[in-house]
Amino acid sequence: MPDRDLTYEDLLQIVELVKSASHFSEFRLKVGDIEVSMRRADAAPRPASIQTQRSIEAPRGPEEAAGAPPEAGEVPREFPPGAFLVRAPMVGTFYRAPAPDKPPFVEVGQAVEPDTTLCIIEVMKLMNSIAAGTAGKVLEIVVENGEAVEYGEVLMVIEPGKR
Amino acid sequence: MKQFDFVDVTLRDAHQCLWSTRMTTAMMTPILEEIDRVGYAVINILGGAVFDVCVRYLHEDPYARVKLLCSRFSTPCDALTRGQSLYTFELFPDDIVALNAQVLAKLGIKVFTVYDALNDNRNLESSIKAGREAGMQINGWMTYTLSPVHTDDYYVERAKELVKLGVDFMCIKDPTGLLTPERGRTLFPAVVKAAGTIPVQLHSHCQSGLAPKVYEVAMQSGFTHGYTASEPLANGASLPATEEISERAQRLGFKTSLDKEALKEVADYFRWLCVREGKPCGEVARYDPALYEHQIPGGMISNLRYQLETMKLSHRLPEILEEVPRVRRDLGYPIVVSPFAQYVVTQATLNVVQGERYKTVPDEIRKYAAGYYGRLAAQPSDEFLNKLDLKPGEIVTERPGEHIEPWIPRLRKELGPVSDEDLLLAAFYDKALLEPLKKPGPEYRFRTTPLHELVAWLGARRDIEYAQIRFAGTEMTFSV
Repeated sequence: MPDRDLTYEDLLQIVELVKSASHFSEFRLKVGDIEVSMRRADAAPRPASIQTQRSIEAPRGPEEAAGAPPEAGEVPREFPPGAFLVRAPMVGTFYRAPAPDKPPFVEVGQAVEPDTTLCIIEVMKLMNSIAAGTAGKVLEIVVENGEAVEYGEVLMVIEPGKR
Repeated sequence: MKQFDFVDVTLRDAHQCLWSTRMTTAMMTPILEEIDRVGYAVINILGGAVFDVCVRYLHEDPYARVKLLCSRFSTPCDALTRGQSLYTFELFPDDIVALNAQVLAKLGIKVFTVYDALNDNRNLESSIKAGREAGMQINGWMTYTLSPVHTDDYYVERAKELVKLGVDFMCIKDPTGLLTPERGRTLFPAVVKAAGTIPVQLHSHCQSGLAPKVYEVAMQSGFTHGYTASEPLANGASLPATEEISERAQRLGFKTSLDKEALKEVADYFRWLCVREGKPCGEVARYDPALYEHQIPGGMISNLRYQLETMKLSHRLPEILEEVPRVRRDLGYPIVVSPFAQYVVTQATLNVVQGERYKTVPDEIRKYAAGYYGRLAAQPSDEFLNKLDLKPGEIVTERPGEHIEPWIPRLRKELGPVSDEDLLLAAFYDKALLEPLKKPGPEYRFRTTPLHELVAWLGARRDIEYAQIRFAGTEMTFSV
């Protein structure tokens, strides 16, 4: 075979072969005038074993000793009877203000009308203004600004007021 | 002998459709010289998604990419914007649209392509004026779709509007590969006639598998240019392969100016890049009749799958795809292209998940229905309008750019002395998103060889402690 440069076809072939031989520790290939040989590191990779050692030596953190408190989401929240729950229409991101540099739509304690915008849920890049749906007073804002919310998750609690 | 010319989309739409737009500048630079040698009439390097993904995900300054690519290519470079919406989903004031055109021209863009997703050509006026004043050639696109209102006459009207706007080129853009040879045989000659002396181009995707044949009909109807991609990044949701379309053109008796050897070098590199980056190459799509129902464009399908996955809703994809045509009819046949593709798909998702149509309507869809983004192609359905309950004050009838106050005076005051590029980026994005763009980028390599790629690939594999490569009298040994 004449002298020549390695081609992309050669490269693709070599890479394909190396990948398919990934369970061997030694690899030797000779195609025409091209020879590739390589050796893999030990079956038990060193970085992993170092890590194991370190985790044994590491002292236990105080939070582990004390026992971590259960995740807030694990226990179903209870809301006051008669409260009106504003829920997320979709999986998305919760925003309290129309823009990062603007004040929030509502604060706790504020009176709202059914068409008052409470927050925005960003769904698949589109903004959904969420209206109160009832007249009353904002009792609680359950979700933090910028947090991801699940479908049907309670966003705010409204105490329905007399109209 | 008539000539058929090519516009390359490998660095723009091809990876937008197949890789969710994730091709970095560093992946492009080693092959620019070869791309430049292919003999394309124009190379498209920028579009809305490329700009946005650069900022949000790749943390690259898109203007810096434009400048770099323009400086390396002697072939004219093309930038595409969404008219008054530029790169995003919002509308921008005329002064921002104008400044963006000036900046692109300054960075080296020669062809400025504009389209409006509603085909409301009033939304192109500000871009065309600014682009021409900045010295660029203007290419006006009209977006093809299937609906009872998008007839041949509808497109002839749009073509006549583009003639009046004084474009240098016009193009039928078929974002979802919905064109068929049959439709082309009536539509294309009608548009060529309306265009008069203005060259007409075709930009069509391969989702239905029919595009190569549609390109033949376009050539025979008098189209002068076709948009294509290097073979490994062509087909599927992407555009047809340059290699295939040039062969078809030659068989039909057209001259092409492509350098086959350079084309092969480019294709070899991108085929390897797909493997190196673990990204898909384009595959010829099988004919899918459902496509003509949901009409979701290439970039969108892969994004939708990904979005549904993150929302744990993958299992509802078939229902959502079924809801899409219904939503589209209700909304007055918006073209399923950015940003309205997102509107239709998101509304369909909301309808399916909530089990009730239009219980929640995103704010942007409300504005769309009110005419805020431009004229609707058809009247929306009563069911949708009743749920929306638009107030008279919300409805917009004038050119959308007109109801937006200039931004530049305010931004100049806020930002102090900054470059025009930085001012524009600040107009489009929050500060936090722009922060990562300030860190210096990687050193770009402008050349590579298969051997170099092999060495780099082996070097990146943590599991290999020793490697030896021998060929043609060269020997290399690596060990840790």
